[in-house]
Amino acid sequence: MNTTKTLPYQYILKQLPRATALVDKNLIFLDASDSWFTLFESNRNQGADIYDFYQGHQHASKATIKKILATDELKVIRHKRTKNKEEQWFESSFTPWFDEQENLIGTIIQTMEISNFMEQELELDRVNTLLKTQSEVAKVGSWEYNIADEQLSWCKETRKIHGVDPDYQPALAEAINFYKRGYSRNRISMLFHKALEDGTPFHDKLIIMTQSGEERWVTAGGKAIKKGGKIIKLFGTFQDINDQVLAEEKIKESSQLLNTLIDNLPINVFIKDKDSRKILVNKAECDYLGTTPEELIGKTDFELYDKDIAQISRDEDLEVMRSQEPMLARETISVRKDGKATNFLTSKIPLLDINGKPNGLIGMSMDITNLKQKEDELRNLINVTAIQNKKLINFAHIVSHNLRSHTANFSMLLDFLVREKEELEKERILKMLSHASDNLLDTLENLNEVVDISTNVNLEKKSLNLLENITKVQQNLSAFLEENKVEFDISIPKNLNVMSVPAYLESILLNVVTNAVKYRSPDRKPLVELKAQRQDKQVVFSISDNGMGIDLERYGGKIFGMYKTFHTNKDARGLGLYIIKNQIEAMGGNITVNSEVNKGTTFNVYFNEEGQ
Amino acid sequence: MKKVNSIFIIDDDPITVFGIKKMLKTITTCRDITAFENGKLALEGIQNRLTEDVEVPEVIFLDINMPIMDGWEFLEELVSLNIKKRMIINVITSSIDPKDYRKWNEFRLRCIHYLNFKNKPLYKIEETDLSRINLAS
Repeated sequence: MNTTKTLPYQYILKQLPRATALVDKNLIFLDASDSWFTLFESNRNQGADIYDFYQGHQHASKATIKKILATDELKVIRHKRTKNKEEQWFESSFTPWFDEQENLIGTIIQTMEISNFMEQELELDRVNTLLKTQSEVAKVGSWEYNIADEQLSWCKETRKIHGVDPDYQPALAEAINFYKRGYSRNRISMLFHKALEDGTPFHDKLIIMTQSGEERWVTAGGKAIKKGGKIIKLFGTFQDINDQVLAEEKIKESSQLLNTLIDNLPINVFIKDKDSRKILVNKAECDYLGTTPEELIGKTDFELYDKDIAQISRDEDLEVMRSQEPMLARETISVRKDGKATNFLTSKIPLLDINGKPNGLIGMSMDITNLKQKEDELRNLINVTAIQNKKLINFAHIVSHNLRSHTANFSMLLDFLVREKEELEKERILKMLSHASDNLLDTLENLNEVVDISTNVNLEKKSLNLLENITKVQQNLSAFLEENKVEFDISIPKNLNVMSVPAYLESILLNVVTNAVKYRSPDRKPLVELKAQRQDKQVVFSISDNGMGIDLERYGGKIFGMYKTFHTNKDARGLGLYIIKNQIEAMGGNITVNSEVNKGTTFNVYFNEEGQ
Repeated sequence: MKKVNSIFIIDDDPITVFGIKKMLKTITTCRDITAFENGKLALEGIQNRLTEDVEVPEVIFLDINMPIMDGWEFLEELVSLNIKKRMIINVITSSIDPKDYRKWNEFRLRCIHYLNFKNKPLYKIEETDLSRINLAS
């Protein structure tokens, strides 16, 4: 022990910057550097036990130290102590201590704090674990290519994506051959060599064929790592994006499908935002408005349609969005700015945002203009048919009634005749029979006249001068008119022509003039006013008299009926007005009547001038 | 022979009037048979009888299709006259229009008079056309 005091190393030892302690062969603590004492927070206290220093350190128990000191090999241990709740890590190295003769004389212990280092190591561990997890979760693998030894290495995930064994080591050529022949393989070769050559980084979507021969979309990325301006490595990522690409393709496909569908639907489709601005229109809608989607997007109905129409549409939009109830198959009319009206069958369905609040609508309109026209035509046709049918039934009843009444008379009279014994009475019955026969003939003639009109619908109409024809009728009736001292007041333009079948015009004029005189008032001199004027596509001819008039409230519905007479006039057959009404209607015209009892009657005849 | 006080024949067809008159002769001794050319004249006839306090006809033969006032219009007016005495009204028509039959039925249910419906031709007038047994009495 006293020799140590003389040893020159003592002072050097004291100053050593690294905490160092000497222990002799008998495991007795000899001395230590100042830094040792500082590190172990102890005072220089000769003869202290080496184990005392390690008191409070984990992983450095007396037994452990003893065991290490007993060997003559280099040993390193890590130990820690907790100070103020903070962990401090240390590393102690135990080095065998020899004298000049290489005799083992003890152990040199050197200790340093490695807390920072340990922290870093832990952090590295954590980062590595994180990276690994990340790469597994994101299916992102990595690869590295070392230029010097032409070694390519894949990480676990990269191998997994390729579908190879976990210990598979690819050569560069093999790795490239995993890419699908053609574009993908050519592309990766090019990119890889470019990166090798001048360090151009790459990132591309390509297809590989996995070990099992399955096609798989990946993104391969690469980047050069330089050292001293020279490329020494390529490092890159490798990601399995097959599911995404397939999903994207599917989305693209369905969106394409949807677009094609919407665009080619033969109905107008549009989507509006909550201010009724169009945010989507299909082709049919564009075609209808004669413009392009770009022109329509962002516009409201007020910019596209008539104001009133646009307001109706806007009100519908608001109602649909307010009630959140779809408006289905409503018949609407759109009038474009150019004035063209179109009938639509329109549906509007509210569009809700993620919070369930309405923020727009989908609209669909089907052009039913043609349908509507057809419907109108059909309705007209049905009306015409119904009227004609009614006329026919009416006519059939007239025919059956009239013929039946004559035949009934025949059979009744014949029955009398057969039973009659008296010659004088027989003669009387025979007279009656011949009278009945005459009546039947008359009736048949009348019916024939009516049938003629109804069947000759296509009789040729001619442009006839109205005034000339009136004059002609006046001449034909001259005796009758003179006898009744009829006064005429005619205001008809000389050049006014009407479209009519010549025989019908004569019949019409003859009938109305005769009627005007026939039903004159016994108290007044007959005055007949004739007027005519052109109105749009027709000529209105009016004939007014100052005769006895007719109670229209009572007879109005029957005045033009067959065999309807309303005055006790011997000449009344109840046929004239029925026939001229049929004639006028057969020519596409119309006849109306106004009358006041004991004042007079006016007939208005409307000649249809269309197709002139 | 059935005894009838007064009969009206309302028809514009003289042959039918002749026939009815002839047939009546074989079944009744009625002396008061009057024919009218249309409903209006017949109505005036009835109104005259009412004002002169003469008995209204017991039996009426009524045609439907007539000028000026037809059979239905006549019936309408007759009902509105509110005659208390029940008359037998034989509606006679050559019409086969089912509307006429429906109208007849409507009137039959509406008025107090006995209404018969007869289609032409007529060959015989039955006693039931001239009288009605009053079950209540």
